[in-house]
Amino acid sequence: MIYYSTSRLMFILRVMAMRASLFITCYNDTLFPETGRAVVALLERLGVELDFNSRQTCCGQMHANTGFRAESFSQAKRFIRQYQDVEVVVIPSSSCVAMIRDQYPGLVHELGNASLRSELDALLPRVYELSEFLTDRLRVEDVGAYFPHRVTYHASCHGLRSLQLGDRPARLLAKVRGLDLVPLANLDRCCGFGGTFSVKNGEVSSAMLAAKLQDIVVTGAEFCTALDNSCLMHLGGALHRQFVGMRTIHMAEILASTEAVPAEAIA
Amino acid sequence: MSQPAYHPVLDPAVAPPFPDAALPVLRNPQLRKNVAHAIDVIQTKRGRLVEEKADWQALRTAAAAIRTQALENLGAYLEEFEARCTAAGGVVHWAADAEGARRIILELLREENASEVIKIKTMTAAEIQLNPHLEAAGVKVFETDLAEIILQLGGDEPSHIVVPALHVNRSQVREIFARRMGIENLSDDPQALTAAARSYLRQKFLSVPTAIGGANFLIAETGSVAVVESEGNGRMCLTLPRTLITLAGIEKVLPRYQDLEVMLQVLARSATGERMNPYTSLWTGVTPGDGPQRFHIVLLDNGRSQILARQTERQTLRCIRCAACMNACPVYRQTGGHAYGSIYPGPIGAILTPQLMQMHHAQSLPYASSLCGACYEVCPVKINIPEVLIELRSQVTDQERKQLRRIFDPMYLGLRVANLLFSRAWLFHAAQRLGRMALGWFTGKDGWIHSLPGAGEKWTQTRDLRGMPKQTFHAWWAARRNAGGKEAR
Amino acid sequence: MNAPSSVIRRQVLDRVYAATRNAAGSVEQTVLPRDYIRRGALSAESRIELMIHRLREYDAEVTECAPEALPAVIVEQLKKSGRSIFAAPAGLPAEWLAPGFAWKVDRNLTTREIEEADGVVTACFCGVADSGTIVLHHTAAEGRRVLSLLPDWHLCILRASQVVETLPEYFSRCDQLPALVTRLVTWISGPSATADIEMTRIKGVHGPRFLHVILVRDQGAE
Repeated sequence: MIYYSTSRLMFILRVMAMRASLFITCYNDTLFPETGRAVVALLERLGVELDFNSRQTCCGQMHANTGFRAESFSQAKRFIRQYQDVEVVVIPSSSCVAMIRDQYPGLVHELGNASLRSELDALLPRVYELSEFLTDRLRVEDVGAYFPHRVTYHASCHGLRSLQLGDRPARLLAKVRGLDLVPLANLDRCCGFGGTFSVKNGEVSSAMLAAKLQDIVVTGAEFCTALDNSCLMHLGGALHRQFVGMRTIHMAEILASTEAVPAEAIA
Repeated sequence: MSQPAYHPVLDPAVAPPFPDAALPVLRNPQLRKNVAHAIDVIQTKRGRLVEEKADWQALRTAAAAIRTQALENLGAYLEEFEARCTAAGGVVHWAADAEGARRIILELLREENASEVIKIKTMTAAEIQLNPHLEAAGVKVFETDLAEIILQLGGDEPSHIVVPALHVNRSQVREIFARRMGIENLSDDPQALTAAARSYLRQKFLSVPTAIGGANFLIAETGSVAVVESEGNGRMCLTLPRTLITLAGIEKVLPRYQDLEVMLQVLARSATGERMNPYTSLWTGVTPGDGPQRFHIVLLDNGRSQILARQTERQTLRCIRCAACMNACPVYRQTGGHAYGSIYPGPIGAILTPQLMQMHHAQSLPYASSLCGACYEVCPVKINIPEVLIELRSQVTDQERKQLRRIFDPMYLGLRVANLLFSRAWLFHAAQRLGRMALGWFTGKDGWIHSLPGAGEKWTQTRDLRGMPKQTFHAWWAARRNAGGKEAR
Repeated sequence: MNAPSSVIRRQVLDRVYAATRNAAGSVEQTVLPRDYIRRGALSAESRIELMIHRLREYDAEVTECAPEALPAVIVEQLKKSGRSIFAAPAGLPAEWLAPGFAWKVDRNLTTREIEEADGVVTACFCGVADSGTIVLHHTAAEGRRVLSLLPDWHLCILRASQVVETLPEYFSRCDQLPALVTRLVTWISGPSATADIEMTRIKGVHGPRFLHVILVRDQGAE
């Protein structure tokens, strides 16, 4: 009991002074505002003082990954300049964090702008994907969530390989009361979204999606969750078309959910 | 019939773009089943052996460093190899391009009066389309690798760089062998089929005096050539003929003999999921009394030096042709190899082929990936394939954006407009409002979009799209703040 | 018409040198990260056990014997093979040439003569336990390459003291040898095999279909 209160106290002290800026990402802002609201509910519940820069737009991932490098320069520059002074940036999208970590250094190097480079170097260690922010920065696994449902977790490729999120998502989900986590087979296999790939190679993408859906459906879960709404948009669109009754949900919404305020209320 | 319903085109100069070339495969359940089965077997074996190797990541790091060192000092290592090989009685030839290499090989065959050659599977020979040119010059080619025999006799094309006939199943092989070898009552047991191949080739091995092969590694320090194989057909070709002609890309060099202690540990595990392939042969020039007494090696550039010159793309040349990337690739798993329109399929093909074509052909290949990174994760020499894919995509875009017809291409138009919108928050927000209005037209009563026109149709063919919510996040945040903070919710 | 070969050679090399002009470091400067396992950690006994286990895993047959029993065990194995004509390298110890069998000792045997042999007996340079690999450097007792290739049955004599645990240990042994010895090298891991048809591993294609190893327990030699 004493141990619990000491660690609880330590946690409160750690979080009390914590300020974080939310980069919601362009597609979450437009298509999945409920994820943003869930992040706000979750982090404020944990005592984080959240800030939101209303001038934010896009990290440039779509342009960079489609080969529009010249265009992605301006977005990278914009992001770095907008967040250079904040304590921590939290981003509820693993692929956008991967864009910033993996591609910004190369882009900035190519631009040859030394001051931008040092700004990026200083900024990168302060950019967190949501589950990283919880487990690494706040050092919390039990976020006090309640979500009495059967859930399967889809490890988005960028979270899995680029961010190396490892067991962070599983650790967080394990502490959600009422949640029954069903493992997903072939966890390391892409769902076939890949941004513009899903349109440029629509048929191949659909074939990959069909294989992934098979694995998801046999779990018998009510929800498929992930840390990236882009995969979930892909999976959710197909689930809606084919398997009525199973839904996708961003992990932020599960973690934000409590007895008092369930996920549906946030959505 | 074992003949594929379509005939794959593996010449990148004329092959259809990847999305089109993938269609016949996506509609061929048997072929997809064959591919998925073969890949599952390799992947399971590989996974087990990588797991047992405590120092796997250290081996990858060393392998990448060795290959990088070889490439960064390639000129010196090539000259060292040439000097040692020549001193040991080998003859070194240089070819700037495919045509040059073919000419050298044809000349050598003419000197040998060769009307037949036995051949070890070599990707480089396929790259320069050697077989059709040899046949046209009246030289009969006997492929000796089991998979290559299946393809040669079946009039088919390779779909994988290590297991080239993985798209063909046993009953198809049985049919090809029965028909082309004239064997009645042949069973479809792989053991029987393998035995048929053995007796089919035995006399050729013993009688044909000229062999053509490739190289897995060239050792600068000793002037040796290494060939890695399983069946023993390689050893036959490297040992029995009077004359051996080896064709190798200039990037195949390793600095030292000792480097094999790393490369061979990662190669077999990555390629076939074995701790070691059954046979590895190394020879140095000519050894009196043992093996071919005439040895020629043709060192082929064919675009490699141009890849070498480019910072990001140089890593492409580290490749040791293990095929781990295609085995891990979720795209390859669906499409198999023929869709890549090149003898180099899969993720490595998606970056290598367009570069070998100097970005004049195969521009659809850098897009044949969801950038999931599985290839990079398994690559034993740590080629960051997604990074190179993105680099090549930007080259393709830079080429295409100059074309007049791209002005009205929805992809180009859309991405350019998006870039403008992302440059100002108010523009972005205005576009969100406009987008909501536009998508509203297509949104059903259930709040979902079931059908979109134009490029969007590629999405709605198989998936719905949730309609745009009424309030964006930033609008919610602003409203909440105006209402006085947290209570607003 | 066509450029002479020396011109093409220069052209290719010039392109390569130009392409790498700005490359990171020279050979001397680069320190390669070699943090992988160099030396094995197994005891001598476990090392031998592993070698035997790995050889068997890849379909080789293994018989163990004491050094003094070797000639008798060779006789026994030749008999058991049910074969009668055996090829042998010129440098094979005379006491290994078991009486009662037809021996073709390789003093310039033709390919046809070797092809007629039912089996072959050779020594080897080294065994690598980690991968169950046997290394031939084709010295007088190991024979020419063709000798251990054509006969369908290969009996290889491996002494326990020749067995190393890891691949890098084999390369350290090579360091102590003149380069001439590594001019011809064949590494054998099990009999020839293929998995080209539906990834079903089939033992025995063009190389010997049967690999038999006699592991001579000469541990004292270590």
